[in-house]
Amino acid sequence: MRRRLCVLTVNGERHERAIAPAATLLEVLREDLGLTGSKRGCDGGECGACTVLVDGEPVLSCLTLALAVEGRAITTIEGVSTDGELHPVQRAFEEQGAVQCGFCTPGMVLSAKALLARNREPSREEVRLALSGNLCRCTGYGRIVDAVQLAAKRMRT
Amino acid sequence: MLPECDVVFPETVEQALEALSAEGARLIAGGTDLVPNLTRGVSRARVLVSLARLAGLDGLEARGNALHIGARVTLARLARDPTVSALSRAAAMIASPQIRNTATVGGNLCLDTRCVYVNQSELWRGANGFCIKTAGAVCHVVEGGKSCVAASAADLPPVLVALDATIDVASPSGARTIALEQLYSNNGATPLSLAPDQLITAVSVPLDPHTRAAYRKLRVRQAIDFALLGIAVAITLDGDRCASVRVVAGGLAPAPRRVKLDELRGERVDRAFVERVAERAEHAFRPLDNVATDRAWRRAMVPVLVRDAFDELGLSAS
Amino acid sequence: MSAKVTGAARYTDDIVLPRMACGRILRAPHARARIRAIDVSRALATPGVLAVITGRDLETKYGILPWTEDEHALALEQTSYVGEGVAALAAIDEPSARAGLAAIAVDYEVLPAVLDPEEALAHPEIKVNPSAREGNVSKHVDLSFGDVEGAFANADVVIEEEYRFESNTHAALEPHCAIGDADFDGNLTLYSSTQVPHYLHRALAKVLGLGAERIRVIQPAVGGGFGGKSEPFDLELCAAKLALLARRPVKIRYSREEVFYAHRGRHAMKMRFRTAAARDGKLLAVQSKLLIDGGARSSFGVVTTYYSGQLLAAPYHLPAYAFNATRVFTNKPACGPKRGHGSVQPRFAFECQLDELADCLELDPIELRRRNALGSEVTTINGQAIGSNGFRECLDAVERASGWREKFRKLPFGRGVGVAGSTYISGTAYPIYPNEMPQSAVIVKLDRSGQVVITSGVSDIGQGADAMLARIVAKELGCSLDAIRVHSGDTELCPVDLGAYSSRVTMMAGNAAIEACASLKERLGDIGSDFAGAVQRAEAKFGTLVGVGGYRTKKLGGDYRGGSIGASPAYSFTAHVAEVEVDARTGFVHVTKIWVAHDCGRAINRTAVAGQMEGSAAMGFGEALFESHAFHANGVHRGPNLLDYKLATTLDSPELEALIVECPDPAGPHGAKEAGEGPLHPSIPAIANAIYDAVGVRLRALPFSPERVLAALKGRKS
Repeated sequence: MRRRLCVLTVNGERHERAIAPAATLLEVLREDLGLTGSKRGCDGGECGACTVLVDGEPVLSCLTLALAVEGRAITTIEGVSTDGELHPVQRAFEEQGAVQCGFCTPGMVLSAKALLARNREPSREEVRLALSGNLCRCTGYGRIVDAVQLAAKRMRT
Repeated sequence: MLPECDVVFPETVEQALEALSAEGARLIAGGTDLVPNLTRGVSRARVLVSLARLAGLDGLEARGNALHIGARVTLARLARDPTVSALSRAAAMIASPQIRNTATVGGNLCLDTRCVYVNQSELWRGANGFCIKTAGAVCHVVEGGKSCVAASAADLPPVLVALDATIDVASPSGARTIALEQLYSNNGATPLSLAPDQLITAVSVPLDPHTRAAYRKLRVRQAIDFALLGIAVAITLDGDRCASVRVVAGGLAPAPRRVKLDELRGERVDRAFVERVAERAEHAFRPLDNVATDRAWRRAMVPVLVRDAFDELGLSAS
Repeated sequence: MSAKVTGAARYTDDIVLPRMACGRILRAPHARARIRAIDVSRALATPGVLAVITGRDLETKYGILPWTEDEHALALEQTSYVGEGVAALAAIDEPSARAGLAAIAVDYEVLPAVLDPEEALAHPEIKVNPSAREGNVSKHVDLSFGDVEGAFANADVVIEEEYRFESNTHAALEPHCAIGDADFDGNLTLYSSTQVPHYLHRALAKVLGLGAERIRVIQPAVGGGFGGKSEPFDLELCAAKLALLARRPVKIRYSREEVFYAHRGRHAMKMRFRTAAARDGKLLAVQSKLLIDGGARSSFGVVTTYYSGQLLAAPYHLPAYAFNATRVFTNKPACGPKRGHGSVQPRFAFECQLDELADCLELDPIELRRRNALGSEVTTINGQAIGSNGFRECLDAVERASGWREKFRKLPFGRGVGVAGSTYISGTAYPIYPNEMPQSAVIVKLDRSGQVVITSGVSDIGQGADAMLARIVAKELGCSLDAIRVHSGDTELCPVDLGAYSSRVTMMAGNAAIEACASLKERLGDIGSDFAGAVQRAEAKFGTLVGVGGYRTKKLGGDYRGGSIGASPAYSFTAHVAEVEVDARTGFVHVTKIWVAHDCGRAINRTAVAGQMEGSAAMGFGEALFESHAFHANGVHRGPNLLDYKLATTLDSPELEALIVECPDPAGPHGAKEAGEGPLHPSIPAIANAIYDAVGVRLRALPFSPERVLAALKGRKS
């Protein structure tokens, strides 16, 4: 199959790559752009480890065709911290012990970041709902919810 | 990694229809159902016709006596729309937040049927001797079965069928409107009655101030999971009496299943009424082993969900 | 640490080496079959395919325990479970690898298979594992301590029941991945998501026939292990072999489906338990008979079989105790060590039995446990030397925090609380292969800049091993944590550590780190406020500053065959209270909260300890309610993916409250004991006991699915 030119805007940077037409966004991010922070944890759509933001909304990059998101703003975990400063969600994850093996962390951070962008003061239940598509095998989730709430509090002040 | 195939991006419905007429063309919207199926070889495509760059089909508005929902409206957006609460609540129960952000209403209506023997890898299906849904000759659910009984596991169709929704279908020969119920073939291997070069452009839900609806979903986990059973109840009231009542189940068979309840018209809606509906539903719905749970338990859950739905509507206390 | 929140942490699958090829393994579709022939000629002719191997290319047997080496990287003559590897290849890219795999022709003669352990024992002629010594028996242990029969004869109460534990699996979020990389001279580097770089190193040398001194194993960041990455796996051996043949790096990554076939998860067990007690609740004797479903390979099976009995002799005083355990081979993926190896299943049975006993005697189940609690500095009936013991404090903590006295037998129908306790090891006395060398070593190097460099073979799999070393060294030397760099998980650059298993890392590497610091502390003298200055003064006086420490285990355990298995330098103790809501119409169980009290000796890192406690409890919760590693009658896994295999989501998971109890143990580094496995055990029986409190039914089989709960409720009514 002939490769197709794909132009993606990821973390504010424009990238052009020749890709297989049906390549998924996850494949292009990891294999063509070297953005390996997005993880592959399942065989498709079941774990949330590959979560990225498209125009600010969390989506599963493993189920998204790369060509289908040309022209849209894609944010990966590599684009979350700015100017050498951790995003409040990232800092809170570290401090609260919300990270163990770290494999779900990029997806969790992105889902949480999107939540806080639309809800400045989410309840624990709202946090759980927003993260319900991100599986974690290490923590039991309590510390992750704590971390998101701590980040929300800091972002309000 | 998907098997090799081409992808095209029509910008109008006409272009999409033309692209769909190609051999081996498959429509892809959000892709959340199709991509895993393609990866596993459960579905096949030579060309994917993506709706990602198509203009339109994304309206969501109450107009006249109906709610009109464009086929490309995402489940997340529908979940936020308060017009028909049963529908938005059903949408909010689908899969995960990430999937709802990409999956579409049209895609949910066209969700491929699912079965414990189908949604697995090629190696797995081969080890199990394949089945009639995917290139095999036998059915592992019904011994000696000749017709595929994979289940429609989508959550919107039961609600929409219960509300007598219609869909607009575009095809090279023109547009038409049909009852949503007519979309489903009741054959799990080819569950939709649409021709390959047709596409759903919108769904319309009648709005009637006397009609109330609720949807209850049975699932193991409170997120990600498909319905083991979904029960939609819609009732049109005439004072404290039932003008008509519809109960539709998902998760059982290749098509949403409706219970015949005509004789309940004109009855007073009270606890005894709810029990009669629950009993009729339990009698009508016979779950199979196409879903990974005990079928006797699934059947026992039918009246429970029916009662819960009436509870949710505030109609079981009186 | 920041690396994991910024996406910079490099897991094996994130590594891309120049010229790296894509490796894949072809897997058998039959539960048991003879391989008549494998034709790889068409695969070799497929464009892009670089090398193809079959079992003949890696004929040497291996296995994690030297006494039961029964694995081949790829099946030789017989396949023993659906999903066993039969051939592997490397290709220039993924599409070529797939095309090559599809071009391999395997001629199978399908043979009868046995999936159930009882069936396997009844049919020794259907040999699951060609290496098995006797029919389908993997291991049999029969041990008795004290006068068991006498105790039962004189008991006021005897409780006897059968319990079933279904298999479940680790499902670490990162699928296994390995990269083989051979240089021109034939030296091999293998990157792998392993918990046991050292054992992998040995297996590679053995199977490849390559000098161990030519092999380097690097363990990059690991996305969770839980015991599922603590043996050599086919992909590691195949990636290495293919890299040597193709003369370029080869990466093999498991699909999620392949992770289920690799398995090594929790054994299914059928358990018969008898408990004898006096009227006052004092335990007189416990006797168990356990049938253990091992799957097709030995794995750690000898240890599993011993652990299934040996780890039950605490935290209660047992005057007499006997167990009879048999591990059986069946045509399924091998079971192995999952967090709480071997003892989670019998602990479930026994703690449920204690609840039944308390009920029968009309005693509060916490009080019953208190009356039987072993103290500290005692030896158990099977010869295990308990050091510090905070079990009573754990019971007190969960009783208080959960509001037990206001809830137990007092909540309305449908709501209930349950309690359970447990104990676990902090490392084992015995290394996996007999030797007199240290089990763990640490090197601490001081740089005149004030930087402290720790090198250690420990495997950080997300449990915080690196941070543990940093904290111990910082405390010992009096430097700041920021000054410390930890290098671990590299068999070439780091001194040995045997791996992240048996909850041994903090105990062994922690003690090694303290020893490494001892001579440095002497040389540093009084460091004052200027650490770098102190280092410079010491370096000027004594020369280059390097401290080396190692940890050796004393001989421990009872003086009988198997007496050292389960013998540990220190034991942790745990108690949980779980609170549940049971929907009696549907059978759904909702666990609202679990209070987790755990005696970890001394918490070196409180956040990490609490995280381990909560994560363990959550994993046990998932096993109790959702997880099922089950098979169709033809040996096909019922759902080898994360949609069918249910990991709890945020919406399903209970609130967790970690109550850290500190009873420092003289054997532990700064008094520390384990915290990563023990706190899993009580979750399951505490939930079962809470369900009884809520709706009055005993669930003696896992998982507590709504179908099962509703059936039990119906059974009670009729």
